[in-house]
Amino acid sequence: MPILEIKNIFKEYLKGAKKVEALKNVSITIEKGEFLSIVGPSGSGKTTLLNIIGCLDIPTSGEIYYNSKNLGILSEKQLSDYRRDNIAFIFQSYNLIPVLTVLENVELPLVIEKKYTKNEIRKRAFEVIESVGLKELADRFPKELSGGQEQRVAIARALVKNPLLVLADEPTANLDSVSAEEVISLMEKMNKEHQTTFVFSTHDVRVQKHAKRVVTLKDGSIESDVWR
Amino acid sequence: MILKIAFRNILRHKRRTILSAITIAFGIAVFIYMDSMLAGIDRMTIDNMISYSTSAMQIHTKEYEKEKNSFPLNYGITSELLGWLQDYLTKNPDVNGFTLRTKFLGQLSNYVESIPVYCIIIDPKTDSSVFRFSGCLKGSYFKQSDFKEIIIGKNLAKELNVDIGDYITLYGLTRYGAHNADEFRIIGLINSPDVVINNNSVFITYNSANELLELENLITEIDVSVKKASNLKLYSNKVRKIQKEIQEKFSSLKVNTFLEIGAGIFEITSAKRIGGFVILLIILIIAVVGIFNTVFMSVCERVREIGVLRAHGMKPSQILNMFLLESIFTGIFGSLLGIFIGAILNFFLVTKGIPIEKLGGKMTTNMLGISGNLYGEWNFLAMIIVALVSVFIAIIAGIIPAIKASKIQVKDALRFN
Repeated sequence: MPILEIKNIFKEYLKGAKKVEALKNVSITIEKGEFLSIVGPSGSGKTTLLNIIGCLDIPTSGEIYYNSKNLGILSEKQLSDYRRDNIAFIFQSYNLIPVLTVLENVELPLVIEKKYTKNEIRKRAFEVIESVGLKELADRFPKELSGGQEQRVAIARALVKNPLLVLADEPTANLDSVSAEEVISLMEKMNKEHQTTFVFSTHDVRVQKHAKRVVTLKDGSIESDVWR
Repeated sequence: MILKIAFRNILRHKRRTILSAITIAFGIAVFIYMDSMLAGIDRMTIDNMISYSTSAMQIHTKEYEKEKNSFPLNYGITSELLGWLQDYLTKNPDVNGFTLRTKFLGQLSNYVESIPVYCIIIDPKTDSSVFRFSGCLKGSYFKQSDFKEIIIGKNLAKELNVDIGDYITLYGLTRYGAHNADEFRIIGLINSPDVVINNNSVFITYNSANELLELENLITEIDVSVKKASNLKLYSNKVRKIQKEIQEKFSSLKVNTFLEIGAGIFEITSAKRIGGFVILLIILIIAVVGIFNTVFMSVCERVREIGVLRAHGMKPSQILNMFLLESIFTGIFGSLLGIFIGAILNFFLVTKGIPIEKLGGKMTTNMLGISGNLYGEWNFLAMIIVALVSVFIAIIAGIIPAIKASKIQVKDALRFN
C-alpha cells in the first residue's frame, strides 16, 4: 500500500501581477521505504512539490492521500497534527536549536510530545545519536560542530520519532563533498535499517546516484520517473 | 525545556540582555537612592520640626486658637486648668516632658536698623525636656536668675551685625496693647537645623517678658514631648491618642499635633514621593522600549527556530511563554542588579550621609528647612515592590513580540525555500 499518493496537483501563485504555474498536473505515488530523489533545474518546482508533500503548502487543485487518508478534507489544525506525527524535515541550513546540546536537540521532539518518561527519552535519543555516529559529541552545542555533523544531528532529530516520511530539501547543499557523501550514506543506512521513507531534492549528481528512484521535474511537470 | 531554551537564549545574547537589564537596574538603583534620600529628608524635617519648632503637640485655649496667627496675649491658660493639665501630663506614661511657652511678634533693633522677629518666651527649667537647643547653641543658655538676656538665631545676629555680649533692643506690644521696649544682652546664638529659627527667632525668659509685656506669667501654649516609637506611623498614633484624651478631658482646650501644624510639609513630602515615582516611571518606560526591542529582534531572528519547535508540536501558548520567560529573566536580572547597585549606594547614604548644602547650595537648605548631613533610610518594602514592578513591566514589554512569535505559522516558518 502506498504511503503517499498525489493526484493531478496544480499549484499557482502570483509573482507581482504575473500568475506563475509552479506545478502542472503532477501525480506521484510513493511506497513505504522508498529512497526518492527529486531533481531538476532551479524553478522547476522541486521545492513547491516538497512543501506540498510536507503539508507546508496547499495545492491550488488536486488530491493528496497519506495512507489512503485524504488530506484535502483536514482542517488547518488537523493538518498540523498530522504533519507533527508523521513527517520529519531536514533542512539545507540544519535548523538546530542553537542553545540546546546535540542530545537535547534530538530529545526535543519527544520532550514536546510528553508521551515518554525522561529516561525513555534519553535512551531513545542516545540510540539515534549513536546510530548517526555522534555519541561522543552528545554534549556539544551546534556551534561546536562541523556542517556535516550538524546535518547528522538534524537527521537524528528527524528520526527520533520514527516518522512515516522524511523530507529533505537540498540536505547536502551546504556541505563539502566528503561531508555530503557521509550525510547521504547515513540517510541511505537509515532507510535500509528502519525502512524509513526518504524524499529529498538535490542538484548534486553524486548524491542523486544513491537514490533508488529519481523523479525529474521540468517547468512544473514530471519529465521522468526512473527506478533503479 | 521551555525554561531551558529561554534561559539559554538570554545568555546567548549577553550584550543585548545586559543592555536591557542595565536600563532596568539603573532605574531601580536611582529609585532606591532617591527614595532613601527623600525618606531621610522627611525624617530630618519632621525630627527638626518636633525638636526645634512644634514639639509633638501644642495646647492652646480655643479662643487663642481662633486668633493664633497674631499670637494674642489675651487668652492664657488659667492656673486651675494648668494644674489639672500638668497633673494629666505627668501621669501619662507616653509623655516624655512638657514645657510652657508664650509667643509674640516683636521687632529687634541694633539701634541702626530693626528686623521683625518671632519671639518665644520660655521656661528654661523645662524647655530642654521638649526642645533641643543645647547642641546647637553658641554661648550660654538661660540660668534661673537670668533677666533681660536673650538668645537669638545665628543668621539674625549676622543680619543685625551683633554677637554674644552685645546689647540689642526688643520692641513689643504689651498685654494691654501699649508699645514697650527693653534692652537685652545677647548670651547665645542658635544655629539649629531649622533655618526659620536661625533666621528670625528670639528667645527670652518669663522673668524678662513679665516686665516687657506686663505678662503676669501669662501662658498661651503648652508644648508636649512624646516618647519615641519605632516608626512615624506608631509615633503619630501615640500622639493622636494623647490629643484625643486631652480634648475629651478639657473641653476648653485645643490640641494641635505636629501632623496638623506641619500639614504643608507633609504635602511637600507626598509631592516629593510622587516626583520620585515619576522619575522611576520615565526610566522604566525607556527600559520597556529596550526590552521590547530585544525580544522583538529575538523573534525576528528565530522565525525558523520557532517553526522547528512548532513543527515538533510545541503549542503557540508554549512559544508565547518561552518569549515571555526571556522578558521575565531580563527583568529579574535587571531588578537584582538594580537592587545590588542601589543597596551599595544607599549603604553609603545611610552610614556616611551627604552634606545637604552640596546637594543644591543654601537655597536647598532653606527650601527644605534642614541643614547638616543628610542620612538615608532603608526601605526594604519599597525595594521589593519596585523590583516586582520592574519584572511586571518587563512582561508588558515582552508581550507584543511574544504574541507575534506565537502567531507565526509553522508552514510559513518552515517552508523550504
